Amino acid sequence: MNIIIGTVVLMALAAWVWQRLATPGNREAALAGTRRMVLMNTPRLIVALISAGLFAELLPEEVVRTYLGDTSGVTGVLLGAGLGVLTPGGAFVSFALAAGASQAGASTAVLVAYITAWALFGLTKLIAEELAFLGARFIAVRVALTFPLPLIAGGVALAV
Amino acid sequence: MSDVKADETSSSEPPTGRTSPFDSSFIILLVVATGASAGVAFTEGPGRVAEIAASYLGFLALLSPKILCGFFIAASVSILVPREMLTRWIGAGSGARGLLIACLAGALVPGGPSMIFPLAAGFRAAGASLAVLITFVTAWSLYGINRTVIWEMSFLHIDFVLLRVLICLPLPLLAGWFVAQVMRQVTR
Repeated sequence: MNIIIGTVVLMALAAWVWQRLATPGNREAALAGTRRMVLMNTPRLIVALISAGLFAELLPEEVVRTYLGDTSGVTGVLLGAGLGVLTPGGAFVSFALAAGASQAGASTAVLVAYITAWALFGLTKLIAEELAFLGARFIAVRVALTFPLPLIAGGVALAV
Repeated sequence: MSDVKADETSSSEPPTGRTSPFDSSFIILLVVATGASAGVAFTEGPGRVAEIAASYLGFLALLSPKILCGFFIAASVSILVPREMLTRWIGAGSGARGLLIACLAGALVPGGPSMIFPLAAGFRAAGASLAVLITFVTAWSLYGINRTVIWEMSFLHIDFVLLRVLICLPLPLLAGWFVAQVMRQVTR
């Protein structure tokens, strides 16, 4: 059901975008970009989704429930945020892990903290890309001034 | 078509920012996947690995129309909003309006980190303030279109994704406002 809703929403959005592209040239360029993205990303999408299934199988449910489950509260949010920073690799690894943890019983608040922390401060990204293009000083200032954001997001999720 | 190509800041980079399907992040993913398969094969036998692989490939088939739409939308945004235009807006933006533009740009610019950080460096060169840059990077991190629409929605339930995005919606502006306050104190 979830998938159907998501598909319909995205199809509507895609149709609107198609309309906005207006000229055949623009549409052709967009389709060429789409083809490139499919070629680049299909292999990793396959590997990541299968990994998500394997993680769900491997993650010890009892441990996940205890430390990251509904009763884990603030500790779970802190733990989730910490794990997010440490998760290596791109979006595929972290989302696959999150999906696996979700199936094994991790709570919504923990997953919000995990994904938010990974997205903002995942070490792989900071070291591999942000350092090269924006420099250590920018990273230091950004981290120093915005580090509580994953905890705020996780805290709000805990409250709703 | 030619007016789209005319923007000088854009390279020949594809809209995904990726130039090869086999980069370091994919290698990390392969290592992780191999470890996980070995783990499952060891604890439950190789048959179970094949079972899981088959069921998740079926799931991927179910997801593919949605993912394809996501790819198309992401590829289109860079055509509808050329980078040069964006750099001009963001470089000139200041105050609350600047933060709003940066937040919107971070949400809409398609691409991964190899695309976003060079772009942010370009904004800095064009004169964007630290508050604007941090708002941009924060918005892209929290709900960039590629990451959220294509990837997060593929792996996690749409109601979870919507809840997370809703919670995170004001955070880039909050971060930018806070950075602006701190910078004012520091430079005073």
